[in-house]
Amino acid sequence: MKTAYIMQKEIRESILTPKGFLWYIITSMILSALSYLFLTNSELSLLDQGQMLYRIMNFITALGVLMGLVFGADAFAGEIERGTLEALFLSPVDKGEIALGKLGAVLTNWGIIFAISLPYLFVVGKGEQNLLIGIAYLAILGTFLAIIFSAFSMGLSARIKSMKNSLIISFFVFLLAGAPIFLSAAQRRTWFGRILDFINPFAGAINTFDNVVIDSQGFSYQAGRVAIICGYLLLSLWFLKRSVSRLEM
Amino acid sequence: MIISVENLVKKYGDYTALDGLNFTVEHGDIFGFLGPNGAGKTTTIRILTAIIKADSGNVLIEGHNVFKEPLEVKKITNAFPESNGYYEWMTAREYLGFFANLYGEKTSKQDIYELLEVVGLHGKEEHLIRSFSRGMKQRLGIVRALVNKPKLLFLDEPTNGLDPKGRRDIHDLLINLNRKHGTTIFLSTHLLDDVERLCNRIAIINYGKIVRAGELDRMKGKGTIEDIFFLSTKEGTL
Repeated sequence: MKTAYIMQKEIRESILTPKGFLWYIITSMILSALSYLFLTNSELSLLDQGQMLYRIMNFITALGVLMGLVFGADAFAGEIERGTLEALFLSPVDKGEIALGKLGAVLTNWGIIFAISLPYLFVVGKGEQNLLIGIAYLAILGTFLAIIFSAFSMGLSARIKSMKNSLIISFFVFLLAGAPIFLSAAQRRTWFGRILDFINPFAGAINTFDNVVIDSQGFSYQAGRVAIICGYLLLSLWFLKRSVSRLEM
Repeated sequence: MIISVENLVKKYGDYTALDGLNFTVEHGDIFGFLGPNGAGKTTTIRILTAIIKADSGNVLIEGHNVFKEPLEVKKITNAFPESNGYYEWMTAREYLGFFANLYGEKTSKQDIYELLEVVGLHGKEEHLIRSFSRGMKQRLGIVRALVNKPKLLFLDEPTNGLDPKGRRDIHDLLINLNRKHGTTIFLSTHLLDDVERLCNRIAIINYGKIVRAGELDRMKGKGTIEDIFFLSTKEGTL
């Protein structure tokens, strides 16, 4: 119950604000522009629908991860800098419950992004045979990635207690995680690309989207990657728990 | 006794903030905790309120070990920290309601209005905290520390930044809490007239050690509170 109060506070503080709404409006505008280009641009419209759907799914995942990192960086360091964490720690609430409430708010944010993106996914992927399974994979893996990256960022925020530094490191991690998007197919076949693909949960997710939506592969082909993502999920939650339990004012 | 501190040690790297601290506080005391800047007052309060851990030593609050039963300690205590921040986007009522919920207190709107009235913030219930002056925020922070009706209340420089009327109101509030509700108050302050007006017992801390402790009236027989403070800390500055 106390976790729910923390989560409610976080949602009001970060999401139900003019700044929060602005993020969602911008998300919606970018998705509108992307969808419009996919459907009307003479070159982009030549892509098959699976390709279009895959690209939109990548964008939505990246956005969810990015916002999770930003929210996470503020979670503890921001409260320390604003002087509000001490009062929270004085109350009889376990630090783990506080972290869980904050994580719940980040997941709410991901849920909103996912909900906003649904109409665009249906428009771009209309008629595509793998549309629904693609959306299911996006919902599950996107949620896992949102937890992984926000839990990492929150743990970092609890450890280094500086929002600026947490943000810088989080953005660096985001660039590293998102690197496969920027690599060409040939670059991704090099040793560097292969290692990045193997150890990177973000790459694991987008490769899974590729295989499911474009190549119509079944779950058995994705199990290895999904298992690695689940491993990162547990690791990130462990990191968050450990970082928060050590957090002192 | 409500507080028992034995051989408390806290180090930050090579710096020893608390160096074998020993003292006790009895039920019903208004206990003044004095010391120069950097003496270890805030660190002591943070350990006693189970926010940070000590390197060694033993602390019992109402019989509960602070290090082993922190949540039990937090249920019966509360504190107003020196650098208390506020959720400025909340109204005063929402702020107090939020913390009351965390303590599992069922607080009605009326309860909150009454709490705010005690510190002269009635009529401000629905105002955003960001519109409050520093003194108003200070009073709100003190009320926040009362939402769970604590047996033991820690206050770290509670009257800093308040005008004379505000200080007087806080003094009256603390005396009232202590006399009517039996709340034990642990008061850390630089303001010696706060100590003279409120406290029955004091301890002076310097370089992480208690250099003098006892009943204020007895100590005052040896000079003014200011004399006692400077004699005890020698280089202490207020």
